[in-house]
Amino acid sequence: MKTSEFIEILVEDLELENVDLAVDTELTELDDYDSLAIMSIIAIADEHFDTTLTAVQLANINTVQSLMDLIGSDKFE
Amino acid sequence: MIFLKHKNILVTGASSGIGKECAIQASELGANVICIGRNENKLNETINSLSEGKHLKYSSDITNYDGLEDIISDAVSKVGKISGFIHSAGIENTIPLNKMNKEKYDSTFSVNVFSAFEISKILSKKKYLCPDGASFIFISSVMGMLGQAGKVGYCGSKSALIGGARAMAVELAKKKIRVNCIMPGVVETEMTKHMFESLPKESVKGIKNRAPLGTGEPRDVSNLTSFLLSDNSKWITGTEMFIDGGYHTL
Repeated sequence: MKTSEFIEILVEDLELENVDLAVDTELTELDDYDSLAIMSIIAIADEHFDTTLTAVQLANINTVQSLMDLIGSDKFE
Repeated sequence: MIFLKHKNILVTGASSGIGKECAIQASELGANVICIGRNENKLNETINSLSEGKHLKYSSDITNYDGLEDIISDAVSKVGKISGFIHSAGIENTIPLNKMNKEKYDSTFSVNVFSAFEISKILSKKKYLCPDGASFIFISSVMGMLGQAGKVGYCGSKSALIGGARAMAVELAKKKIRVNCIMPGVVETEMTKHMFESLPKESVKGIKNRAPLGTGEPRDVSNLTSFLLSDNSKWITGTEMFIDGGYHTL
């Protein structure tokens, strides 16, 4: 998947408004990054990458790039 | 004293967790247990844990509704008519509403609800039903009465069991079939462990600490199912019982 596509999915599913999301954006600093957002990210990883993430793993990420690394950098163009 | 001798009990989800413990305790109390589960190896473990009796195992996907009557017919031909049914098979998922779709609703409800209703339909037929009647128990959940984010499929399905049990209790009373739901809280099982992995740490801590009496064990639940299977509960039907360490009170 293209990185730009992934960012679009994140913006849509996390309903991020007025956020210029980029790979170096600190997800954990966003107002909307809460337990529901974590659930959504787990669902995104499952739906688009057939990858199971856990909340414990997500507690260790901060930027969009670190999330992509967790999913698997080989899955992105 | 709870006594299940001469009773033939069918248990779905018997490969693990609550279902496994219900099967084991029923056998300890004298019942013949018909164990249904997906995982053959785990099902064998359950069978090997049962006390002496005429027990059977069927490794099967209970959402294959066309195959259910064959299983029940085969079981009845081998051990006799059925006196009890525990529906413990179930899947849980944590998916936010915006990611739910028909496919996910179908898969959750197929296992958690429709298979229970289909099996009940079959077991209520005279050719499979013990003439003294039977006790059907659906393992719902405290989450069938409470709400939680990401649980519309799971909570909805567990709540559906409660409604279905009440309707069946009325319809099947004349056949001496009692139908009840039990609503376990947080029980230490593989499924619960998996559920916790999809939740943030602080949520997990909150859930585990919420019940005044803490988390439970599968044996806590099987103590109740054994009572409901027995003649000691002959006047109980159409009800749903919390068994949750007080989780629902807060």
